[in-house]
Amino acid sequence: MISFLILMTTVVCFSAILAAGLNFQWGSGGMVNFGLAGFYSLGAYACALLMLKAGANTFIAAVGAMAIVAALSALVALVTMRVTEEDYFAIVTLGVGEMLRLVSLNEDWLTKGALGLAGIPRPFGDAVAPEHYQYVLLAISLALLAGTVCVLQLIARSPFGRIVRAVREDDVVAATLGKYVLWARVRIFAIGGALIGLAGSLHAFYYQYIDPTQFSYIVIAYAFMAVIAGGRGSNFGVIWGAAFVMVLLEGSRFLKDLIPALDAAQLASLRIIIIGVGLILLLIYRPHGFLREHRLEIDLEREGSRSGERQGQAAAPSL
Amino acid sequence: MFGQTLFNGAVTGVMIALPALAVTLLFGVLKFPNFAVGGMMTVAAYMVFALNAQLGWPLVVAAAASAVLFGGVTIALDHVTFRPLRERGGITLMVASLGLGFILENVARFFYGSAARSFTYELARPFRFFDVRMNREQAIAMLVSAIAMGAMYFLLKRTPIGRAMRAVTDNPLLALARGIESPHVIRCTNFIAGVLLAVAGVLVAMDRALEPPMGSNYLVSVFAAAVLGGLGSPLGAFIGAIIIGVASELSTLAISPNYRIGVPLVVLALILVFRPQGLFGQPYIRR
Repeated sequence: MISFLILMTTVVCFSAILAAGLNFQWGSGGMVNFGLAGFYSLGAYACALLMLKAGANTFIAAVGAMAIVAALSALVALVTMRVTEEDYFAIVTLGVGEMLRLVSLNEDWLTKGALGLAGIPRPFGDAVAPEHYQYVLLAISLALLAGTVCVLQLIARSPFGRIVRAVREDDVVAATLGKYVLWARVRIFAIGGALIGLAGSLHAFYYQYIDPTQFSYIVIAYAFMAVIAGGRGSNFGVIWGAAFVMVLLEGSRFLKDLIPALDAAQLASLRIIIIGVGLILLLIYRPHGFLREHRLEIDLEREGSRSGERQGQAAAPSL
Repeated sequence: MFGQTLFNGAVTGVMIALPALAVTLLFGVLKFPNFAVGGMMTVAAYMVFALNAQLGWPLVVAAAASAVLFGGVTIALDHVTFRPLRERGGITLMVASLGLGFILENVARFFYGSAARSFTYELARPFRFFDVRMNREQAIAMLVSAIAMGAMYFLLKRTPIGRAMRAVTDNPLLALARGIESPHVIRCTNFIAGVLLAVAGVLVAMDRALEPPMGSNYLVSVFAAAVLGGLGSPLGAFIGAIIIGVASELSTLAISPNYRIGVPLVVLALILVFRPQGLFGQPYIRR
């Protein structure tokens, strides 16, 4: 049971980092990423291949994976050069994600296609006995999640953080104020991409085996659910959001006891249906997620201490 | 070989044209790209499967009944999912439509599993014109698409509801000021989109296979076609679809067929950078 909790916590950690990446792109910066699963798989594959083919150590591989995903993300963000409508960007990310999935599935010489990559090394894998390894990975994941949240909080409070939110709220106003919106968007998407790459690396370390089926569109559904449940734009919210999704998924295992007639495939599709329905219900009834009040308090205190008065509901971030 | 590829591309194009038209109509009236169209095509095709293969109705009857029925389903889905979110902006609606797409695809998977299925109808030998081979599914796809396109043209240009739809697409506030009721227009648009998606679902399922991801596999091509033609422009969607279809098939002569989807993606990126309004869209005006 303890072991189960440790493994689940580890999964929640790297899911939360993934969700944090999406949250930075979408929640803070207003750039929807419907190709998330593809970028995530790119992170995992880049990390695994840097170790297996290029002989990098785990640290360099993870950093390399972050850099690669960030670079591709920056490139994709460039298509918003002329069009700043989110609609078009979402469609492009969808296509890029699909393309990445196809590459991992078809380039056998590199990715071994549907067979997947096995035997992925882990950080400190040689130094620690296998039976204790779960603690090490948990510690690494927790540390990285803490680091991620700290960095994102620092960004959120920095001048760049204000540009990020300004671009989300109204890019025309941001441009009018002399902010270079395209450059901001490239950086937003690249930073989110780096986090997605980090999450992908942890995914590779955790499973030690990756194949294209692990990165289906289900990843997108879970990550969006985590961000929406946690509250868009809230860096702490994504942790609770990721935990909430995990509880929901693990809880849905009991559906099998409840309705014995379901087979595994039906159960899998039922889970996605539940996630999808939950996503839409949250969007309709809880658009600010479960952590809305918490986030508002923090925002209000900061605003209050600066301007000397509380601003009430006016400070609520709009969706 | 070249002629055959060109022909296959045209057939792919007319098949993309119907959902692209649905996307562009929905976008015109509701102002957000509906990512659920893939899942909708899938569910509609399985409805036809239920009537045709399971209840034994002839395919044409089953398809016609499903198309009308699915028009109603689309209205209901819009009412439940998108109506409460109407005022929340495009991003929220887009994410909700993505969620709806996941739900629909998996409802199909829940009831019918992941295995590919096919409708019950008589198979026929392929025809042959010179050295271009055309099987009956392709002929049916061309014919049905042509009829649907003609009907859409008539509907949009010659009927009051078509005029109302175009008015709302053009300028919602002005349309409202002229007394055009937008809830009614939204219902009609959804119904028409549902019919188009159902017909497209049947054609795709006949041409390829009836399986849960059949709709979402077309999503990128469909959106690329709609954007290429200019989101909101019905004629543009049709021409965009033909271009995307032909270009994708021709690309298989040079690159691996697995990466066919790269073509709509590249077209999409180029269009967005060089001509954001699409071929037939209105010039892009900032607020």
